[in-house]
Amino acid sequence: MKIALEYQKIRRVGIIPGCLAGGLLASFIPVLELSVRSEQYQGLLEPPLQTILQADWQMMGMMNMLLVITIACMMYHTEYADHAIRRMTTLPVTEEELYFRKCILLSGMWAIVLVMEMLSLVFCTLHWFGGKNGAYAEFVIDLLQNFGYCFCMMLPVIAISLLVASACRNMWTSLGIDVVCVFLATMIPVKYFALSLFPFALPFQILEGAEEGTIVGYLAAAAVEILLTGAAEMIFLKVRRSFA
Amino acid sequence: MSFISLLGVEWKKIRRSRILFILGVAAVMLWIPSILNAHLNFQMQAEGISPEHNFLMQGFLGMAWFMFPASMVVGTVLLAQTERNSHGILRMLALPVGTGKLCLAKYVILLFLAAVQMAMMVGMYYLSAGIASWIQEYEFLLDPLFVVKLAFGMYISAFPMIAFYWLLSVCIRTPIFSVGVGFASIVPSVLMINTKLWFAYPMDYPFYVVTARYGELAANLSEMETDLVPWIPVAVVFTGSCLLAAVLCFGKNERR
Repeated sequence: MKIALEYQKIRRVGIIPGCLAGGLLASFIPVLELSVRSEQYQGLLEPPLQTILQADWQMMGMMNMLLVITIACMMYHTEYADHAIRRMTTLPVTEEELYFRKCILLSGMWAIVLVMEMLSLVFCTLHWFGGKNGAYAEFVIDLLQNFGYCFCMMLPVIAISLLVASACRNMWTSLGIDVVCVFLATMIPVKYFALSLFPFALPFQILEGAEEGTIVGYLAAAAVEILLTGAAEMIFLKVRRSFA
Repeated sequence: MSFISLLGVEWKKIRRSRILFILGVAAVMLWIPSILNAHLNFQMQAEGISPEHNFLMQGFLGMAWFMFPASMVVGTVLLAQTERNSHGILRMLALPVGTGKLCLAKYVILLFLAAVQMAMMVGMYYLSAGIASWIQEYEFLLDPLFVVKLAFGMYISAFPMIAFYWLLSVCIRTPIFSVGVGFASIVPSVLMINTKLWFAYPMDYPFYVVTARYGELAANLSEMETDLVPWIPVAVVFTGSCLLAAVLCFGKNERR
């Protein structure tokens, strides 16, 4: 019910079509890539899902992350434009609740985008790697595991970009900070595990081909980052309120 | 009102915004990994490029591929939002100034922001190259003329891209679409620079210019040809049509 209220606010600013368009665009990447050079992947021993993800997830992850930070900035932009947030604070709703509802809503939108991308992966697997190689027995389980892992890897970015968006009253400031963070993530060398725990570097991770220890490490890091971001938002809002 | 004083007005509007701070942070962030990984430059001699050139080019490639276009998208959001907040654009349109002039003044301010970013990048390059030389005990500093020429080439080649982003922010009123299309257009530039039709995609020009220069410096990498003939006319026509469309669209919604 209360998340529906958050949805009402963003219904008319084009976030939902933007979200779908972004998902469609990112889903198009593996299709395009495979249609151009599918012969390069013929006769590979790895499962098709791993082949596709390793080839394309860098670009798809980049698209997804840019989509998520743009939507996060827009969600708070609708609050700060024309001081709508002041009216919200007169309601029996705290700003912390607003933040968490926005987090849940954005995670839901991210899940929709991810479903679109996974459908495109299913299409690519069946079309180019079809037959007994493509539709192996564990394919569905494999796909769901990848889906869940990619979903979790984006959650810290969602939490942090909403934190930044709630902290800055101007949309472009938060957008600028997020873009600098994404840029920093692209500059991080892959070989250092500790550096790759940087929240904005997590969405580039894929499940396929990783060792179990690292997977657990990344999931734990994502959970810790989400909790820390949530705590930081609580403290930030309290401090801002006391100085307002 | 003359064009110069209009530029002054536009600059005053964004003076208090912290855009320069964000551009500065990006320039600092760009070079920190380069300093830490300075020793890796010595391994690149297999490609036939000297360590000091590699140090410079890696930084410029990182900038040209993502941060430079993305910060221009952020700049367009800044310019568009400062006007739309509290309907400032209505007051501007009430002045005896042509809307086209107003629109072009904003484009020039955007070019100015790009120039500031390039200057910051070059400045930080000299600082970080100095630090890296001191740590590695190897001279990383290059001739200023060479560095400035590279930065200038990248800057000039970005004009069509900036015009396109400006057109997006003028014509598409919902920020999510103008920003989204801008960001989405950055990602394919990696693919486009490797095709023969790279000149047909203006968003990859800065990245292409830097990559081509890298190919020239590295003896063992294949050189990319930069034929000026299809490129310059395409770039000029593209920039002109983007700016014309932006001028025609500017303030259209508010004037109704």
